[in-house]
Amino acid sequence: MRDKRMTADEVVAELADGMTVGIGGWGSRRKPMALVRAILRSPLRDLTVVSYGGPDVGLLCAAGKVRELVYGFVSLDSIPYDPWFRRARESGELRVRELDEGMLQCGLRAAGHRLPFLPIRAGLGSDVLRVNPDLRTVRSPYDGEEVLAMPPLRLDAALVHLNRADRHGNAQYLGPDPYFDDLFCLAADRRYVSCERIVDTAELTAGGPAQSLLLNRMMVEGVVETPGGAHFTSCVPDYGRDEAFQRRYADAAADPDQWPSFVDQFLSGTETDYQAAVNAARVGA
Amino acid sequence: MSQTASARPAAGYTTDEMMSVAAARALRDGTSCFVGIGLPSTAANLARRTHAPNLVLIYESGCLGAKPDRLPLSIGDGVLADTADAVIGVPEVFNYWLQPGRIDVGFLSAAQLDRFGNINTTVIGDDYADPTVRLPGAGGAPEIAASCREVFVVVRQSRRSFVERVDFVTSVGHGRGPGDRERLGLPGAGPVLVITDLGVLRPDPHTRELVLTDVHPGVEVDAVRAATGWDLTVADDLGRTPEPTERELTALRALTAASA
Repeated sequence: MRDKRMTADEVVAELADGMTVGIGGWGSRRKPMALVRAILRSPLRDLTVVSYGGPDVGLLCAAGKVRELVYGFVSLDSIPYDPWFRRARESGELRVRELDEGMLQCGLRAAGHRLPFLPIRAGLGSDVLRVNPDLRTVRSPYDGEEVLAMPPLRLDAALVHLNRADRHGNAQYLGPDPYFDDLFCLAADRRYVSCERIVDTAELTAGGPAQSLLLNRMMVEGVVETPGGAHFTSCVPDYGRDEAFQRRYADAAADPDQWPSFVDQFLSGTETDYQAAVNAARVGA
Repeated sequence: MSQTASARPAAGYTTDEMMSVAAARALRDGTSCFVGIGLPSTAANLARRTHAPNLVLIYESGCLGAKPDRLPLSIGDGVLADTADAVIGVPEVFNYWLQPGRIDVGFLSAAQLDRFGNINTTVIGDDYADPTVRLPGAGGAPEIAASCREVFVVVRQSRRSFVERVDFVTSVGHGRGPGDRERLGLPGAGPVLVITDLGVLRPDPHTRELVLTDVHPGVEVDAVRAATGWDLTVADDLGRTPEPTERELTALRALTAASA
């Protein structure tokens, strides 16, 4: 079977300016941060980012990578607001397509089903329809009920992070929640999974019930082994969120004077440099 | 080119074995195949044990990439889930894998098949309300026939199974001829290959009628005509299926022995 192992930088090299990129995880949970960091140090730009947003969104906005953002929310969980997202949103530079979680899921489902739309009640009567005038409603041919016809959110690429994967692209989550990572992959043309550890296929099956194998090799183009690749978001049971580091990020993001030194300390080198700097900061704390 | 031991034709084999071998050969390595239980499952597992180790077998019960070491008794057989790359829910199989056209080949069987490759697994008899034989029903076959990129059918050929018009269209093949699939909005190519115990049929690209394109070793065209319920067209360049090799036959017999 095909060996799909690659590096984070090789993944980013397969992306192009202007692409629509879906990012898995949810809030500040199991985000493919090593892949996001690889985008930060690449020349990639003008992305349309689709995300249940966490610090992935903030960091990409900080680096000027995002032209348009499609989201249901952006939050760091334990810290309600991501300062960089807030600044980009309030500056008016960012094009936004603000949905809710249900509509975002429905759009990913429609894309995954390859259907022209899927009906949903969420959003009806809200101002989401006013600010997204391209969204339409449809009447049920059975009882005339009006529902929102959510169009597909087709993605050029999906980036997700799971606990384990094999080299062929079968991938497993070991935490309590799959989030929407399978939907992101099913909605996308090219799918990349980073993971804490690449193991043999047999070890995947032994590591949890069959249902924990969220992704299979038919829905993955590339596999990247990135220990700590979700840091500083959570990746339970391998590790929880690094709350101290998240606080440090949020403080730096909130203060334009502090931000350059944060970038200099953590985001100016490779992923190995990042992990080393995080460890050094932890020891020094 | 001299024949290796494994490529040497086998001495004695049954018509069913020839059918399974011919059906297995049709599957290309590295593709994905939605497998029906019975003859398709035998052929698909034989393919995986011979020339197509990277074939991704998908069973309707939600088993993706199943690698059973024996033939499953049903789509719910535990050997499928135990050996699968992933196990998902049945609704997901239909919504995310079949309907969007992600599967290369749908591999089906049939109780009745007509000259346009339409499949009946519902009822035999003219009166739907009072059928001669009540068959198991559609299952997932209609959506498989609609949405897989291609459909292969493996079925024993006789006048009872190969009819001018099926008594009930359960799964649409080429409808009543050219343009029907397109008119119905069916995304897949429909049945492109029918493998029987006598030979191989393919739809004519213009009329979409099933045409005999190959006969198995030792089978005369007249015998195929006699087992067909319509005026069978025979391809000008009629081919002959190569006999099963020792390797194919050994693998097939090991598979069926393991499943006994």
